[in-house]
Amino acid sequence: MKKILLIFGVLSLLIFLRPVLGFSGDVTPKDEIATVDEQQPTTDQGEGVFENATHGMQQFYNYTGFANATWGHIIMILIGIIFIYLGIKFDYEPLLLIPIGIGVIIGNIPFVAGNQTGIYETGSVLNYLYFGVVKGVYPPLIFLGIGAMTDFSSLIANPKLMLLGAAAQIGVFGTFLGALYLGFNLPEAGAIGIIGGADGPTAIFLSSKLANGVNILPDGTTVKNLIGPIAIAAYSYMALVPVIQPPIMRLLVSKEDRKIRMKPPRAVTQKEKMIFPVVALLLTTFISPSALPLLGMLFFGNLLKESGRTERLADTARTKLIDIVTILLGVTVGASTQADIFITKDSMMIFALGAISFVIATMGGLLFAKFMNLFLKGDNKINPLIGASGVSAVPDSARVVHAEALKSDPNNYLLMHAMAPNVSGVIGSAIAAGILLSFLA
Amino acid sequence: MMLLNMSLQVDQIGTGYVILLSGLLIVFSALLILSLFFKFGLPVMLYVYRIITKGRDKKIKDIPIAADENFTGEVAAVISTAIHMYLNEQHDDENAILTIKQARKLYSPWSSKIYGTHQKLR
Repeated sequence: MKKILLIFGVLSLLIFLRPVLGFSGDVTPKDEIATVDEQQPTTDQGEGVFENATHGMQQFYNYTGFANATWGHIIMILIGIIFIYLGIKFDYEPLLLIPIGIGVIIGNIPFVAGNQTGIYETGSVLNYLYFGVVKGVYPPLIFLGIGAMTDFSSLIANPKLMLLGAAAQIGVFGTFLGALYLGFNLPEAGAIGIIGGADGPTAIFLSSKLANGVNILPDGTTVKNLIGPIAIAAYSYMALVPVIQPPIMRLLVSKEDRKIRMKPPRAVTQKEKMIFPVVALLLTTFISPSALPLLGMLFFGNLLKESGRTERLADTARTKLIDIVTILLGVTVGASTQADIFITKDSMMIFALGAISFVIATMGGLLFAKFMNLFLKGDNKINPLIGASGVSAVPDSARVVHAEALKSDPNNYLLMHAMAPNVSGVIGSAIAAGILLSFLA
Repeated sequence: MMLLNMSLQVDQIGTGYVILLSGLLIVFSALLILSLFFKFGLPVMLYVYRIITKGRDKKIKDIPIAADENFTGEVAAVISTAIHMYLNEQHDDENAILTIKQARKLYSPWSSKIYGTHQKLR
């Protein structure tokens, strides 16, 4: 032990004393001068070392975050911290907000460009991970997991509730129109509109196809890269569904209507559950083939779950696989908010449009549910509140509906009924994405 | 240029309305077809399937859709909750390895052999 200490001590002494004693290699020409003059070179060399050191320190400082930080970076880091805080403290979709929040911080650490550090620099590790977002690889994998998690039986038991999922898609198209009026061009507006689908993977998928900064428009300009702002807007509003939806519900649905009890759904046979993914896949993708990557994987995952023979695959899809993809997706989407690219007027407008789209979608669902009630009689009547869960945001909006119904009648359990429009909202927004893609790509 | 820009903008919004209407129509029709299929198409299919299989294999007794009105999803939920709770409340796993732990006792004159009352006085 003593020997090791001794060796280390000698070595470190040598290393520290080397420049002082003049052993360094790059000052050999000066040594020759030193033979001419005895006194001069030692002080010269001392100064040179000092200068070198300060120069090195200066250079090091220039590479640090402190030197390169701008207000944008600091604001974005604060936003990242707020995301993490919201996720931990209020439990708003922590599985999304915490990866995204830490991603926002990672993406906004100031650095010197050119060292393959940042997410937008080709060749950096983050850039490779971001590939899955830019090329739309992650969203279908997430859909596979969602399919393997989702129980469509409440939808099969009461097929008319599927229309509520369609009604909420008015949020998509309404926002699309709003974005056009604000001056975005068609593909960008389409990508922004899909925020109203309240479905993170779908939003990323569509924006990676339409507003990816690569496509060239008919008039010669390139579309803007809006994946980051759109994904952040979609995910943050999805997390805020418990805040956005209840006031609209209370505004549009009267107290008596909120107390409507729906008759329990009938039991659905396993055969129906197995037929559903196959038939739904065929019907929906024949109508909207562009949504194939999303809907194909969604129903594939569901068949894995319902077939009863592939429990292992379904189990992987709904646990490990979706977890892995969520981690990668969350962090890279968060990191894509690099301040110099993210803080623009466009992003602010996208955030405003996103909030409006959620409001329109919720209203569309609620009003259509009331409209449907005009034609339904007796105990077939539906509680208009479940219309609000037609925006996807599975299963958060169904939970919000359930909680809201419990407030006006503590014995009215709407969760299972609300799941029906909720999952059909997922299908609906994927179809809407396919339509927008086929019109605009 | 300005005029061109304006006309382009107007044209864009016109296209926007077309997409809005056709898109909503398509989404509605897609989900409507799906719901109609599950309302009417599927029961017929299952019925046909039952008729076809009945000839070959008498043992298959399908549960007809909406035959058992009393067995609703809520009943199924109650039963499955009960089973779940029963399975979870079984005896919890305890460590099967038993060891005797040696306890060190502090010396105390109260329990000392030297000061015992049974000592023989010589």
